[in-house]
Amino acid sequence: MWFTIALGSGSVSAGQAAESEPFNAGKTILEHVANNAGNPIVRLPEVMGIDFSITKHVLMLWLVAAIVFVCVTWIARRRLKQGATASFRPGTALEMLTGFIRESIVLPNVGAKWVNTWTPLVLTFFVFILTANLIGLIPIFDILKLANHWIFRADIHYPVFGRMLEGGTTATANFNVTAGLAIVTFFSIIIAGSKANGFVNHWKNIVPHGLAWPIYIILIPIEIMGMLIKPFALTMRLAANMTGGHIALLALISLIFLLAEMFKSALVGIAAGLVVSLPLAVGISGLELIVVLVQAYVFTLLTAVFIGLVINVHH
Amino acid sequence: MPDENHDTFLARSLRRTQENLRRTGPAAMAGYTLLGAIIMLGGIGYAVDAWRDTSPWFLLAGLLLGVVVGFAELAKVIWRK
Repeated sequence: MWFTIALGSGSVSAGQAAESEPFNAGKTILEHVANNAGNPIVRLPEVMGIDFSITKHVLMLWLVAAIVFVCVTWIARRRLKQGATASFRPGTALEMLTGFIRESIVLPNVGAKWVNTWTPLVLTFFVFILTANLIGLIPIFDILKLANHWIFRADIHYPVFGRMLEGGTTATANFNVTAGLAIVTFFSIIIAGSKANGFVNHWKNIVPHGLAWPIYIILIPIEIMGMLIKPFALTMRLAANMTGGHIALLALISLIFLLAEMFKSALVGIAAGLVVSLPLAVGISGLELIVVLVQAYVFTLLTAVFIGLVINVHH
Repeated sequence: MPDENHDTFLARSLRRTQENLRRTGPAAMAGYTLLGAIIMLGGIGYAVDAWRDTSPWFLLAGLLLGVVVGFAELAKVIWRK
């Protein structure tokens, strides 16, 4: 159902662009994927050069955080109150998820001694990223735009609502969001190493012991850069993967308007949409469902691997 | 064998998937770090070039450094075993 709505809202927004000027696929796609920071929902003043305005991705982050907090707290409390024997499906599902993260992500990498310390962090990462990715698949703002086109008919400059009518919904497709998550990973790595081996030893463990001193001149900068590159790789990977899927979907939908314009006939566009765009977009949406799971999994797995590397040092 | 037959097909395939995913951890790390190092240090080099107008020297140096650091991380993962 969402696919059709996504397609419909895509057509409306693209159609509106086509009314005034020739259809520009690149511009339309970028408008849908970007955060639209120049036109935030609520504009707030800058504090020390940092723009605190509430953009769509900020709104989505809050929404995701609220959903995760309310759902998980409610499920876990009810599960604890009823005991493990009662049949409460969300409770069983949450328990399975927790077990999966603990047994097959954290335990093999971090080790039995520290598994209870680091499972909560990794589990939070997984649930948060997965929820953000999944909500990103639902074209909330595009549906709003579609509804606005037919029902509300609000102006695009209307205070809060009008600003919600364009742009993307996937908070994890924003590099700033994934960078924030990766910074948490970065500091967790340092804290994990310091807790397990002591603060001084953690920094000593960065390079292998007992080598000739000229090697250290090369090795220490390389290791320090490696330390910074790990969170960077996490940042790029998650955001790029989430953006990529959306661009592919939008490009397929743009094909309808490009062909319609090229042949100066709406019929060609509709035919191309039915034969090419719609089946491919549905297929890619299905693929995206796997991608959101895999990306959340890879982020948490890599976090666990990095934490495990500094705890169990053996050069 | 008899133990496995007690589980459903789904449970067994899930367990196998888990096991395989778990083993991919270090390999995934090496791959992403190699790419990340080249992109990050190359990007820093590009930025310095654009800022100081020294194209292409810092970009080349950044890419080279990225390859070195990336392969150093890769080597660490390979020789850990």
